[in-house]
Amino acid sequence: MTAQLTGTGHAPAVGHSVPARYVVRSRRDETHDTVTLVLRPVDEPVPAHRPGQFTMLYAFGVGEVPISISGAPVGTELVQTIRAVGAVTRALCAARPGEMVGVRGPFGTDWGIGADGAGAASPMPDPAGRDILVVAGGIGLAPLRPALLTALAGRERYGRITVLVGSRSPEEICFGDQFDSWRQAGAQVLVTVDRASSGWRGHVGVVTQLIDRIDIDPAATVALVCGPEVMMRLTARALAALGIGEPDIRVSLERNMRCGIAECGHCQLGPVLLCRDGPVVGYEQAHQLLSIKEL
Amino acid sequence: MTGVSAAELAAHDFLRGLRPAQVERLADAAVAVAVPAGHRFFEEGGRAAQFWLITSGHVALDLHVPGKAPIIIETLGRGDVVGLSWASPPREWQFGADAVQPTEAFEFDADEVIGICEGDHELGYQLARRLLAVASGRMHWSRIRMLDLYGSPEQRGGMS
Repeated sequence: MTAQLTGTGHAPAVGHSVPARYVVRSRRDETHDTVTLVLRPVDEPVPAHRPGQFTMLYAFGVGEVPISISGAPVGTELVQTIRAVGAVTRALCAARPGEMVGVRGPFGTDWGIGADGAGAASPMPDPAGRDILVVAGGIGLAPLRPALLTALAGRERYGRITVLVGSRSPEEICFGDQFDSWRQAGAQVLVTVDRASSGWRGHVGVVTQLIDRIDIDPAATVALVCGPEVMMRLTARALAALGIGEPDIRVSLERNMRCGIAECGHCQLGPVLLCRDGPVVGYEQAHQLLSIKEL
Repeated sequence: MTGVSAAELAAHDFLRGLRPAQVERLADAAVAVAVPAGHRFFEEGGRAAQFWLITSGHVALDLHVPGKAPIIIETLGRGDVVGLSWASPPREWQFGADAVQPTEAFEFDADEVIGICEGDHELGYQLARRLLAVASGRMHWSRIRMLDLYGSPEQRGGMS
């Protein structure tokens, strides 16, 4: 706990149990329903995040939701990508530069990329010297982007870096204008869509099928997978069938995070509280959890 | 267009595990082809008289939509089979196919392959099993795509 003791008891810690104020510095429309906000701290900034962690973003007067951090852990600004699917996310997506939002966090576990170098505690070992395979479905690319940017910034530290992206349609590809810069920085990037539109000449099919299009050394590979749960299950299963060890397949699970500090129990998934013990977990743990119906 | 050795064919994912004599027989019905991007393999509705095993490149299966450019419904690459319609009546292509990139493949004369299988039911059985696995895999992934996993609740027509 970071709550400060006062003469009358525990004062709520700003940025932890009480939102810190951030102002929207800029916004960018990723797709028709997805927006990336760059947030600048007004109060004391929240602690530096590790790739894969999330914050609770508060649209004042509307409500609070868990949102993935999509920017690299550099400086005090936060980059967060939000899809408008409910009242709070719609309000956040509508935020304009100069408007204020609240931030609590960062919370949860991370992908382990750069973990040793950053000196921050991470339950996942940094895969230094190994190949990194990033598999993203839809907006699942948002929480993977900080890991990818961190790995590319320390390119010599890792083996091959491969990014497989699945999207509903060409028009709904997130961060698509950045793929060339990722390629120039040393990553192989393959993209597929579920539904092609006229003029699309790329891959068409499920992102899991792209695994057959790349060369993988199972013993040397650590996979980071994020997307809808069905997509993660199928992808993790395919990667495990290739021989990648389950602890080397890291997935990001999502449940109804509310408090972010493992007190309310809304995000409980079996024996774990995902806001604290997740969202990133090894497939050796996720495998069991994802196979239980109605959990 | 050049002849293909049994050793080359045996290394392709689709034929891996066949007995050498079986691959030898199939080699008589195959040639190696290299086609440029934009090459049209076949058109929807045409007679399905060949099939291809891709060794490199990228092939798109497409469907004609009146008034629009063809829509790509699936893409195939190294290790994949292009063309399944030759194996069962009415032996008519259900889709069109063209090379998105320069593509290399083994092209088979389907009539010859069917003739070879008529004389070697064990080989026919092995090919039928492989074709069933390919068809079943494509059906599986098509069903997953039908789930519209990345769609918003509104796009999927329900609650998240």
